[in-house]
Amino acid sequence: MADTAALENSKKIQTLRKSPASLLRTAFEAGSVAGTVELREVPFLTMAGLRVDPAGEAGERLGAVTGGLPSASGEVLSSGDTAVLWLGPAEFLLVAPAESHESLGGELPRALIAALADGQGQVVDLSANRTTLELTGPRASAVLEKGCALDLHPRVFKPGTALSTEIGGIPAILWKTAEETYRIFPRASFAEFLGRWLLDAMREYASTEVP
Amino acid sequence: MLLISCPNCGPRDETEFHYGGQAHVAYPENPAELTDREWAEYLFYRDNTKGAFAERWLHSTGCRQWFNMLRDTVTYDIQAIYQMGQLRPATGPTAPTVTSPVSPEGAIK
Amino acid sequence: MTTEHLPEHPDFLWRNPDPKSSYDAVIVGGGGHGLATAYYLAKNHGMTNIAILEKGWLAGGNMARNTTIIRSNYLWDESAAIYEHALKLWEILPEELEYDFLFSQRGVMNLAHTLGDVRESVRRVGANKLNGVDAEWLDPQQVKELCPILNINDNIRYPVMGATYQPRAGIAKHDHVAWAFARKCDELGVDIIQNCEVTGFLKDGNKVVGVKTTRGTIHTEKVGLCAAGHSSVLAEMAGFRLPIQSHPLQALVSELHEPVHPTVVMSNHVHVYVSQAHKGELVMGAGVDSYNGYGQRGSFHVIEHQMAAAVELFPIFARAHVLRTWGGIVDTTLDASPIVGTTPVENMFVNCGWGTGGFKGTPAAGLTFAHTIATGTPHKLNKPFALERFETGALIDEHGAAAVAH
Repeated sequence: MADTAALENSKKIQTLRKSPASLLRTAFEAGSVAGTVELREVPFLTMAGLRVDPAGEAGERLGAVTGGLPSASGEVLSSGDTAVLWLGPAEFLLVAPAESHESLGGELPRALIAALADGQGQVVDLSANRTTLELTGPRASAVLEKGCALDLHPRVFKPGTALSTEIGGIPAILWKTAEETYRIFPRASFAEFLGRWLLDAMREYASTEVP
Repeated sequence: MLLISCPNCGPRDETEFHYGGQAHVAYPENPAELTDREWAEYLFYRDNTKGAFAERWLHSTGCRQWFNMLRDTVTYDIQAIYQMGQLRPATGPTAPTVTSPVSPEGAIK
Repeated sequence: MTTEHLPEHPDFLWRNPDPKSSYDAVIVGGGGHGLATAYYLAKNHGMTNIAILEKGWLAGGNMARNTTIIRSNYLWDESAAIYEHALKLWEILPEELEYDFLFSQRGVMNLAHTLGDVRESVRRVGANKLNGVDAEWLDPQQVKELCPILNINDNIRYPVMGATYQPRAGIAKHDHVAWAFARKCDELGVDIIQNCEVTGFLKDGNKVVGVKTTRGTIHTEKVGLCAAGHSSVLAEMAGFRLPIQSHPLQALVSELHEPVHPTVVMSNHVHVYVSQAHKGELVMGAGVDSYNGYGQRGSFHVIEHQMAAAVELFPIFARAHVLRTWGGIVDTTLDASPIVGTTPVENMFVNCGWGTGGFKGTPAAGLTFAHTIATGTPHKLNKPFALERFETGALIDEHGAAAVAH
């Protein structure tokens, strides 16, 4: 579909771009405590904002592309490597690998725009809006608890849940992808702040336990 | 800090919300026909109730939806939470609190 | 233990009379504004058969809860005029009231943190000078010279890009101010009646003729409302509305410290204002809580935000401890300017809407409100602050200028 020359050119441009938290890459490596709590940026994930009534016709058409739309706060519907997060009763965030973006040969968000057609709703490419920080390890929830008022106890906050909330005093989406793994989506301009905030919160786990 | 039960997201800290002032203030049907006094009332005058007060809140960091709340402005007790467009429920501490349909807990059960 | 070892009971500064059945005028609210109004009614207009009704104890509301900053560097002519007049009165009041209430003209700095702040501040300095208000623009180095504990590094979130400075501004000891006014009022014959809550008004047609209180009915020819956060409640009893919203406003003090802070520093941008009181505690005010509230308390995150800003601006505060926090009920208007004048009810007058800045305005509020009550017409200083401005549209919008933090 896409013009091959244009695609090659686009891929070349991609190698030059910098992700919002790229400045902190070595700091994330240095600040991570292997097996305890680790932090990295997962750059350039494909994201699309969907605003549509999930019960309407347009909602059904979009759902057919995404593998359904979540129906309640916290819910994430995954289909292969693509996930749709509930942000509001008529607002969703689609998250897919970087290669899924049309500029890298993928189909997003073009396929969604095509599915919506002239139906009531909105599909916006938000891939540059937020970046993704991934926090993993047995201490990950303890780090988050320093600046997130949600109940993160494993009995309550289970893998496969995503909530739009505040972390370290800034708005962010928190998605628990596995028992000890969180993906955090801060807006690009907050990425460095949140990255530094998390590093600071992780620092205590780098020191040896006082007997 | 207030702990506010968003009708969509369940209980969250007040910092996730924005205050929207008095609820149920309708835009005048024919603004051009209002007297200066009536227009001033619409623009600048709001109830400043001491006691149960119906007000609007926006869950700005969460689902980004507006809702109504009945709150006591002296004790700060939240007496009821209800959808935009719904009528104000009965006043008083006996008014039932609308339980949130979905909590972070509920969403994943 | 025997009574002879107890210290002598201090002399009371004012009587504690029972209400009479009638007065020439009744002032509702025994805070700073009510006391100042009664004082000027007696002194300037010879009205001494008057009473101040206070539902709690004297000066126990916002008068006991504010951060005592006094300044007059407001943008608009109308505001500069009334606040500058207030400042001039503050300068002579200790002598006039024969009471040293520790008015300290240590200067007030309003910090600028952004280019927008800088432009607005420089404009305000110009406007102040045209209005005869002492004002200067300071660059960051001059800021540092005046207040060495301020962090003027440019690598902080809200760097100090300069400040306006009013040397004649300062602070006073709020409770002593109230006592000074109360003693003079009492000497002039004013009845200060505490524990006397107004529960309604007696009206003859559209004219107020009396006040119903928890201590009986009091007949009066004139009523002046000075109830700050409770103004709307009284207005509702009297049958009219006010464009007022009452919000919590919080403040706090640290424990006592050696003198470290020589002036008063305010930052509207990050909502913190700090001075060091005479005893040594750091006194800080926060921003207004967003929601309406009569609870005299606000939300903790407001204080947290304020502390974060204070510690960034004053790194040495990081080791100070918060001793006490509290809240008052501020009566805000949409244009952040007060309402002083007549009401739709005949012979009833209102002084309210001073929002977060009532303390500094106390003497001018009292002087102009007393004039309005005595003569039935506004003083030239409070004429622009009439209730009617919300209908005519002649608002005095001090929001952007100076009135965000006080």
